[in-house]
Amino acid sequence: MPALLEVRGLRKTFGRGRGALPAVRGVDLDVERGETVGVVGESGCGKTTLARMVAGLTRATDGDIRFDGSVLDGSSASTENRRRIQMVFQHPAQSLNRRMSVGAMLAEPLRLLAGVPRSETADRIEEMLGLVGLDPAFRNRRPRQLSGGQQQRVAIARALMPDPDLVVLDEPTSSLDQSLRGRIIALLRRIQQIRDVSYLFISHDLGTVRRIADRVAVMYLGRIVEVAGARQLFENPRHPYTKALLSVAPTMDLDRTRERIILEGETPSPTELPTGCSFQDRCPLVFDRCREESPVLTLVGDYREVECFAVGP
Amino acid sequence: MSLLEVDGLTVGVARSPTSILANVSFSVPAGRIVGLVGESGSGKTMAALTMMGLLPDGIEVRSGSVRIDGRQLMDPEAMAVTRRAGDMAMIFQHPQAALNPTMRVGRQIARVFSLQQGCGRDEAMSLAIEMLSRVGIPGAGRVARAYPHQLSGGMCQRVMIAMALACRPRVLIADEPTTALDVTIQAQIFDLIRDLVAETGAGVLFITHDLAAVAEMCDAVTVLFGGQVMEEGSRDDIFRRPRNPYTTYLLDSVQKEVDPHVIEAGVDFELVGCRFGHRCRYAWEECGRVPDLITVGAGHRSACFLHTVEETRAGAS
Amino acid sequence: MSGRSHPGGAERFIPPRIDGGAKVLPLASRKPLAVVGMIILAVYILLAAVGPFFVADPVATNPADALLAPSLDHLMGTDNFGRDVFSRAVHSARLDLTLGVVIAICAMVIGSAIGVVAGYWGGTVDEVLMRFTDIVLAFPGFVLALILVAVLGNSTLNVGIAVTAAFVPYFIRLTRAQALSERELEYVDGAKLAGNRSGRVAFFHVLPNSLEPSLVTATLVAGWAILTVSGLAFLGVGIKPPTAEWGVMVSEGARDIDAGHWWTSLFPGGMIVLAAMAFHFIGDEFGGREA
Repeated sequence: MPALLEVRGLRKTFGRGRGALPAVRGVDLDVERGETVGVVGESGCGKTTLARMVAGLTRATDGDIRFDGSVLDGSSASTENRRRIQMVFQHPAQSLNRRMSVGAMLAEPLRLLAGVPRSETADRIEEMLGLVGLDPAFRNRRPRQLSGGQQQRVAIARALMPDPDLVVLDEPTSSLDQSLRGRIIALLRRIQQIRDVSYLFISHDLGTVRRIADRVAVMYLGRIVEVAGARQLFENPRHPYTKALLSVAPTMDLDRTRERIILEGETPSPTELPTGCSFQDRCPLVFDRCREESPVLTLVGDYREVECFAVGP
Repeated sequence: MSLLEVDGLTVGVARSPTSILANVSFSVPAGRIVGLVGESGSGKTMAALTMMGLLPDGIEVRSGSVRIDGRQLMDPEAMAVTRRAGDMAMIFQHPQAALNPTMRVGRQIARVFSLQQGCGRDEAMSLAIEMLSRVGIPGAGRVARAYPHQLSGGMCQRVMIAMALACRPRVLIADEPTTALDVTIQAQIFDLIRDLVAETGAGVLFITHDLAAVAEMCDAVTVLFGGQVMEEGSRDDIFRRPRNPYTTYLLDSVQKEVDPHVIEAGVDFELVGCRFGHRCRYAWEECGRVPDLITVGAGHRSACFLHTVEETRAGAS
Repeated sequence: MSGRSHPGGAERFIPPRIDGGAKVLPLASRKPLAVVGMIILAVYILLAAVGPFFVADPVATNPADALLAPSLDHLMGTDNFGRDVFSRAVHSARLDLTLGVVIAICAMVIGSAIGVVAGYWGGTVDEVLMRFTDIVLAFPGFVLALILVAVLGNSTLNVGIAVTAAFVPYFIRLTRAQALSERELEYVDGAKLAGNRSGRVAFFHVLPNSLEPSLVTATLVAGWAILTVSGLAFLGVGIKPPTAEWGVMVSEGARDIDAGHWWTSLFPGGMIVLAAMAFHFIGDEFGGREA
């Protein structure tokens, strides 16, 4: 059986000509049923663009997104596919319509996507509010009467309302206080156990991804440079970029002794990429071949793929 | 004696009984990095703004003192901070907003030099470029001629740091200096701050909600909630031997599995007693009063009535 | 929630709070001018709503009582036909206020509907609409209304249509500008994912969130509309004598000033000024300093 979501050779370039900005430069990624795939990377690596293309909000320049066997075409996403892929955004306050009550917001996807008549929405809304841990009385509230954590719970409820198979979560905890993040992550996991939904979880926060993802893809400048099981990746990163990223991420473990790998400089601008590997200017392992050829994702072990000439099986 | 001492700082909304900071005290010794930790609404940014004399309209200082090297920084009559150049510098969370958008960044830093050391225009500019390269900016000469909007967030943050360092501050206040930045850039900025401390012996007040960053950077920690100091101690005290229920809650929420269905209430600034009272699982009648900080170990203090109970029990048995 | 026993043995602790903690200052001290405007407006609305039932017939002439100075019998005196100026002014309040408010609401509804289309879809539609409003806005509203009434013909309804048309472009601009920034917010994507087609996104989601500046401006426009309507009537365009209307009254009374009969024009003129001012105070304070 094919995976629930199969992304093949996906590209997105914003603008044209000399100033064209390649945000996603050929991404292959699968998400299985009931699985959580984390996508990590720093700002500008194209992870949000990838998320928006999967959710059908941005049209791909090239490549395929196959969902449950059928090819998604960004322009004519059918109501059924819309229903089955939902998304949660980064800014809870901004992603909710400030003039609508929570109940009205939750009713919309039910009526418009699942075809539930207005008279039957009330029970489903109450049940969903319960699932995300909110009191039924919240249905009459407006977004500004809610705290950030509560707003994000409403956003999650809205995404789950039409009973989707895949939920794309774009930095769902980044704008929340650290003490709230754990709760939202725990909530998402609880929901996954109950609803058997798949998550594509986008984040720059490694700690959060580690707590929720089954598999993790690391993106750098529009490409996936390493993908592996979460445990494998965090315990034994192989790509030099992943290694550096993990080595400098702060942790609360006071006993940890590790070698910090401080990368030189900053991520180069995607509009002026060098020939060859895009990580060459910051890479501690760089050698001649990296400046001539571009590496591709290669299987280097059990379910682990790395895009680097210096990393062998 | 500590380099920076904040004592009994109380800040409130004008013409209203609510206080945003209630009797907050902490200190930063020379050559140390002290973390001021709290969730949003804990008053940590307000504390920084008070020290910098940058309180917004409608917010007033009610009492308290801010001292550097024993020298009073606050005018007790006007309840306003009278700062002297070189005492303190601040790094803001959003550097783009804190830099002057109409002035090239090199000029902005050079101005600090000419104002402070009275050096000429050219000399100030060369000092500025030197400072930019010291904070790890490649091609400092070129960057000095750029306007803030032409630079990335990480670059702007480093410009801010260069500017703060140009002041040769005794105390550096870093308010969420890396929250908006990527981890690889964050690591570079952290190194810069550590270097500053090692080189000049400055004290750093490191304000953040990120516990991992605190564990990584700080020597001592003050935990703030709802404008009240909940606990203070060394990094080991706070992370290994937390005593205050709020600190425990905060650490657990990051490290342990939590119940997803407990809804976290926000900070209630109208509570008379302990502000954590309505969220605390141990709360009892005593908590209708404000607890005092009680010494629970060497250099380790916590504000909670549980400690009084523990003492009485210990005394009885 | 947890089964742990509390040290004090209390079941559930309810923390005490400050009595009446964060008090909101009364509106009067935050926005004094708006409150003045509201009071003036309330008086006008009262006059317009119940006044006509208590005062004399506004068009009944009585040559014997012509041009009497203000007194207890005739609060604002009488005009040269012997009509009671106060009674005419009160009747006129009903007409002018209704026209002002209806014009403002119509202009806002039409203007913001067009504005959201331009702002949300952008592209050619937007280009065409913006050039059109550029042209319309190049004329002063008063002159435009004057031309339109001349084309449409003299009647109260046509004055209403003409003045409405003159104010619509303001609302198009305002709503478009707001819609342009609203459409970038995440809730618009959220609405799309909830199954809204673009028409529903524009009118059910973006429009309600783009109305705020227009609502403020509508208050100002109500005042301007009264000025425009009575100004046109003063010039003899639109509303005609013997209808009781402030502009008509000022126009008729202007002839009496030379003879020292100031009350026939001063009172209706003052009512126009006060009405426009009241709307302006409200719109200005709610639009400028907060929100």
